Amino acid sequence: MAREQRIAVIVNGHAYDKTVPVRLSLADFLRDHLHLTGTHLGCEHGVCGACTIMLNGRTARSCLTLAVQADGAEVVTIEGLRAEDGTRHPMQQHFLEKFALQCGYCTPGMLMTAIELLRDNPNPTEREVREAISGNLCRCSGYQAIVEAIMAAARREPA
Amino acid sequence: MKPAWFDYYAPRELDEALHVLADAGADGRVLAGGQSLMPMLNLRILSPAVVVDINRIKALGHLEAGTDALTVGALVRHADLLRSADIRERWPLLHEATRQVAHMAIRNRGTVCGSVTHNDPSAEHPSVLVTMDGVVAIAGAQGRRELPAEEFFTGMLSNALEPGEMVVELRYPQQPAGTGTAFVEFARRLGDFAIASAAAALTMRNGVCERARLTISGMGEGPFRVRVVEEMLAGQALNQNTARETFAEAAAMVVAAIDPADDVHASSSYRRHLAGVMAEQALQAALLRTGEPTLG
Amino acid sequence: MSDARFANQRIVGSSVIPDEAIPLVEGDGRFLNDIKLAGMYHVAFLRSQQAHARLKSVDVSEARKLPGVIKVLTGQELLGKVEPFRSMPNRFSGGESVQHWLAVDKVRFCGEAICAVVAEDRATAEDACDLIKVDYDPLPVVIDPRMGEQDDAPLVHDTCPNNYLIKREYQRGAVDEAFANAHVVVKRTFKIGRKQALCLEGRGCVAGYRENTFTLTVWMSHQLPYVVRHYLAKHLRLAETDVRVIIPHTGGGFGQKASIYPEEFVCAHLALTLRRPVKWVEDRIENMVASTHARDQTIELELAADRDGRILAISSDIWVDVGAYSTYLWSAGMEPLQTAGLMPGPYQIAAMRYRTRGVATNKTPVGPYRAVGRPSSSASLELLIDEMARRLKLDPVEVRLRNLIPLEAMPYRNANNLVHDNVNYVPCLKLSVAKSEYERQRAEQREAKPNGKLRGIGVACFAELTGLGTSTAVGPGTLLQPGRDAVTVRLETTGVLTVAAALPSQGQRIMTAMRQVAADELGMKLEDITSISNDTATAPYGFGTFASRTAVFGSGATIKAARELRQRILAMAAFVLQAPVDDLTIVNSVVQTLDRTKSISLRDMAEKSFFSAKDIPQELNQGFEVTAFYDPKFGSFAAGAHIVTVDVDPRTGNVEILRYVASEDVGTVINPAVVEGQIIGGIAQGIGEALLEELVYDEAGQPRTVTLADYLIPSALEIPRIELHHANTPSSALGGFKGCGEGSIIGALGAVCCAVADALSRRGGDIHEFPANPERVLKGLGVLPSGG
Repeated sequence: MAREQRIAVIVNGHAYDKTVPVRLSLADFLRDHLHLTGTHLGCEHGVCGACTIMLNGRTARSCLTLAVQADGAEVVTIEGLRAEDGTRHPMQQHFLEKFALQCGYCTPGMLMTAIELLRDNPNPTEREVREAISGNLCRCSGYQAIVEAIMAAARREPA
Repeated sequence: MKPAWFDYYAPRELDEALHVLADAGADGRVLAGGQSLMPMLNLRILSPAVVVDINRIKALGHLEAGTDALTVGALVRHADLLRSADIRERWPLLHEATRQVAHMAIRNRGTVCGSVTHNDPSAEHPSVLVTMDGVVAIAGAQGRRELPAEEFFTGMLSNALEPGEMVVELRYPQQPAGTGTAFVEFARRLGDFAIASAAAALTMRNGVCERARLTISGMGEGPFRVRVVEEMLAGQALNQNTARETFAEAAAMVVAAIDPADDVHASSSYRRHLAGVMAEQALQAALLRTGEPTLG
Repeated sequence: MSDARFANQRIVGSSVIPDEAIPLVEGDGRFLNDIKLAGMYHVAFLRSQQAHARLKSVDVSEARKLPGVIKVLTGQELLGKVEPFRSMPNRFSGGESVQHWLAVDKVRFCGEAICAVVAEDRATAEDACDLIKVDYDPLPVVIDPRMGEQDDAPLVHDTCPNNYLIKREYQRGAVDEAFANAHVVVKRTFKIGRKQALCLEGRGCVAGYRENTFTLTVWMSHQLPYVVRHYLAKHLRLAETDVRVIIPHTGGGFGQKASIYPEEFVCAHLALTLRRPVKWVEDRIENMVASTHARDQTIELELAADRDGRILAISSDIWVDVGAYSTYLWSAGMEPLQTAGLMPGPYQIAAMRYRTRGVATNKTPVGPYRAVGRPSSSASLELLIDEMARRLKLDPVEVRLRNLIPLEAMPYRNANNLVHDNVNYVPCLKLSVAKSEYERQRAEQREAKPNGKLRGIGVACFAELTGLGTSTAVGPGTLLQPGRDAVTVRLETTGVLTVAAALPSQGQRIMTAMRQVAADELGMKLEDITSISNDTATAPYGFGTFASRTAVFGSGATIKAARELRQRILAMAAFVLQAPVDDLTIVNSVVQTLDRTKSISLRDMAEKSFFSAKDIPQELNQGFEVTAFYDPKFGSFAAGAHIVTVDVDPRTGNVEILRYVASEDVGTVINPAVVEGQIIGGIAQGIGEALLEELVYDEAGQPRTVTLADYLIPSALEIPRIELHHANTPSSALGGFKGCGEGSIIGALGAVCCAVADALSRRGGDIHEFPANPERVLKGLGVLPSGG
């Protein structure tokens, strides 16, 4: 049985055609094969959330997804959040302005979760925000600035 | 933490999947959501020789809310269940329990059938399936069979599947009129593996409990159906005055009936105590939701 | 010199958005695992499955044959080639411990590295690890310090009798007399479980041979680049100038990345011998056992007080489970000596005595983690003070007010010989009391609770010695005396200012702070200032980031360097503008006369200096680059008072934090938003310590908490909204700065522990062991039988 397979995947709007080991995780594929190192590995067992990306429009743990499973799929990573002209996604801008990142390691996954939250629930309460990000661990911030950034994004404050 | 090597198949037809699984026997594993399997592979707790990815089998993607039952195919994600207003209304216990599964990113990928198959002692779905008198549809190279939920769960992380078999569908009967349900769990943090949980369903008519179901999870051996409580409650008059005392008695019966494990998250005595608390809370909430007028 | 030199808007004190954050929020961070070099190999370590055993044999033959495997290195092969880590000298050492980079005859903790496999990719390296056969001859295991110090206990190190890695007794003041004459003596035991920093990013390194002009270049997820350089050179027998250390973006440090560990050093050795770049990334499973642990203390504490609740003396007996080796660099003395020595905290205590021990066990070694011994020290005393308050029927706030060192008494020398000055202990407490509506909360607490929950209120005050200079060793008894950090400021060809320092951030935005200080000191616009850090080839010597020192050290050195630079700039400008030096000021990066009739931008000055040098007298154009060292000598005390309100569910044992009020004195604040982030982050870790986090070992020394599903750190739902207030007063250090990275975790542990104990006391219950998990809470209430 072949230990490698060919996959066609669209990442951040670009189409890629690559041959990958079957046991390679989507996280390692993005980071090592596509050199999109913005997605981080914090635990490789699905708990910390740092590796969270968008898979076919919904958040997913890229450490728990095989690269071969992404064949035919669309993936968005933190690198894909900015506009064509390089302008940051509003959520990124709010994170920056509210000091919602310190070491920055949890940030890629946190952003994805926050973006999905506001898509599903445009006007969350603070409690709902905290629940939504409870699967993204942050060791630096104590979460307060992150919550404020997401609430500001929900209020569509000018970013 | 990278997995050991395995042979990977991603068939588009169920028959093909079953064929490969039959060949692989005990060395094969089904990959659906991957939220339970992949951590084990990454940690090298498991090193199956063969992984069969069923995500391309369209026939397994059905989710049908029929008049008599809800049918959940093997590829239905937790998130799919939650998005259905129909399920929320007609199978509220399933909805309530699913809300407490992990976090959104896990719910987007993880499957209900996968959770049932994996039968983690703290998982929500095995307990709910038992409480709702659910049915597990199994397919193997030699054909299909069905098992009532209770017969499917055979112990800690174990099920009644033979090598080469897989769960293709779950069926949840429509609950009878006058039924109130509740799923209550206690975990250290939201989304963590529950230390103890209780799923309760009470069917009331004219102030009398016609039918009771109570299942406790988290005790170590898979969902534990507390028949002594169910029998005690069936036929009992329940109202605001008597319910509190009756449910306290039920909790005591739960505590006496279970045999919980000790682990790093909780001692056996704490789990036992907590199971009683969960049972009481679940029964109280279920009773309120029966809409029974005598409750006031 | 003109007084009007700060005509600029003051940038120090404003929450400028850090440029440092931009690559991180855009996904362009360069963390250790993001670094790829051509021809790079990958390393995985085979780790011990036994807590204590002789290694009868290590068979790597099958592993070596696996395709894709380059090398399998054993401890035997390293013998004689590299120097193992001998425990750092400490005046209170019990004995020396020697740690081989890869175990040779013995393993002493589960997770200790036995072999290093080098392969073409990490997965293959792990495959090879699975093929290595180790034959262990198990030895008796030590897992408890009280048992480990007994004469008949098995020894973790033959060189350390009674398994003491550290032992010290100390007394100052008439302790016995105080206890004999006391109106009340109160005694308590406090136990805190084993923790770890749990950085989101584990450790890691990339070691390269001749990647540039340096023989060895090492990228490392670490807090102390020059310290790493020193020890790499020493242990690999290179000159320090042959070694370059670069710190990439680092995903958390908290002290765990401030020790010297074997794995990175093995990688450096491999790079030199293989002459290829070598990468190791610590995965989470490794991190749980391979990176330093913390806390795990038992404190038996008693105090003697008069009838007004004034503390006359304290006496403590402390056991710390320091694990299998005395951590390289800091020694096993960190927690035991700090816990004991800093016990008096912010209180006036004239007499103290302690006996403290760091006992070796067969567990992962203990190293520094945010605030080290101070959280346990403080929490144990705060709980004891509350018990005294109950005994004397006094309010816990009132008792503290009677004991805190008041401003009028400063400078005040405490029983531990530390001098308190320029610090607002009492104002912080009064501010927290006011902001938390403390009286109203106590009144509410006295009412019956319809929801059946038990309401508790905890108050904790702390003193935190930050920015320690050369007057004190970083840990009592350690012979390590950090105290010299340099900053270079340099005007570039375009008039931009570069600030360079070897002070890596893990999110604290150190370079942003220093740019802000430089901007104010020089009168420059912030956007005209850039920074260099994290690289021993380009940043000047410094000890690094730890012990809440960078605000003091970095800013102090920046001020000194900037002042000198300013003089040079003005001297040359005076010549160029033909104006007296005293008439000149710098505003918004422009040198101008006070009456603004003449001016020259720094950009134009730089151009003249570099490209029209013939027009400037040599003595005025000696270069606009200044390096200054700063040693504040003495530390600066920071302070805080935290008041926490909890509800305890007497059925489930769950603790919910309802309200959290914190007032802190962190000196002159450079960037308020950054400071707030540090304080709240520290509080979150303290809450985790108090309620959730615990590393558990079984009787055989096997770790039971091995994944993030077992070791629980707070999520967004476990941390309440923190109401943060300030009662700042400047320190006596240059600029008036104080450190703020570690204080809040001290206040949080104390306040949450006290709140839980207070809640339990409503029903005559109590709790002595933390984290206050539901089981301990229910045992404390008598709902579950205690013991077992």
